[in-house]
Amino acid sequence: MSNTIRKEILFPQPPERVWRGIANSAALADWMFPNDFEPRVGHQFTFRVPPNPAVGFEGLTVRCEVRECEAPKRLAFSWAVAGPVADTQVSFQLEPEGEGTRMIFEHSGFDLSQPGGNLALKGAEYGWAKMLGQLGAVVAK
Amino acid sequence: MLTYSAGIVMPAVHKPDVFAAISHSARRQILDLLTKGERPVNEIAAHFEMSRPAVSQHLRVLLDAGLLTEQRHGRERRYCFVPERLSPVRDWIALYDRFWDDRLRRLQKHLAKMDDQ
Repeated sequence: MSNTIRKEILFPQPPERVWRGIANSAALADWMFPNDFEPRVGHQFTFRVPPNPAVGFEGLTVRCEVRECEAPKRLAFSWAVAGPVADTQVSFQLEPEGEGTRMIFEHSGFDLSQPGGNLALKGAEYGWAKMLGQLGAVVAK
Repeated sequence: MLTYSAGIVMPAVHKPDVFAAISHSARRQILDLLTKGERPVNEIAAHFEMSRPAVSQHLRVLLDAGLLTEQRHGRERRYCFVPERLSPVRDWIALYDRFWDDRLRRLQKHLAKMDDQ
């Protein structure tokens, strides 16, 4: 039982421009988080989600590896945090649409079976609640 | 099988059962099977290598979590999936869904800002 988030967005900018917004460390730092991304397959990098003491959020590191990088069409990287998000994949597919770009975004591989079945109920409960809280803090930022 | 819902709800502390209940692959397979319609225990057990008591035990966990209902038809018990009970799981995914909405809006702003420069 896994799941995929899928979004389609139209941008007025052409694919080459949108590509510079997603396959570039400085651009990703602007709209995502500080990172050491490089646009080449196999490169391992992290997004460092800063702490937010106001909501009790301790900060978070997302471990990633570039899986596909084909300018200006497709960028995919792994996205690993913990638990159900220990092994997920994020991808951006760009298609020209008129003067602009259609982006198909996917985040897949959520493993809803985590934490594993052998864990005590309390452990599982804590893990889920904590991750939910952390992500809530990120969204609220 | 899952759909997104708008509300964000913390998994209730006194009801961790849904997450624990779907933490076992056999139980997820049982749920997948029952999405196609209600089934008696024999028919469910036929899909698995494990013993009938083991299957019953998994059914019990799913029943306790409210993910299944049990109905007697004469001597036979039939099990029926209650998908609404998965809403805490959907809500969790929905949070990530909102996260990306937020970030992709920021990307749109980022690109517009670059256009101006």
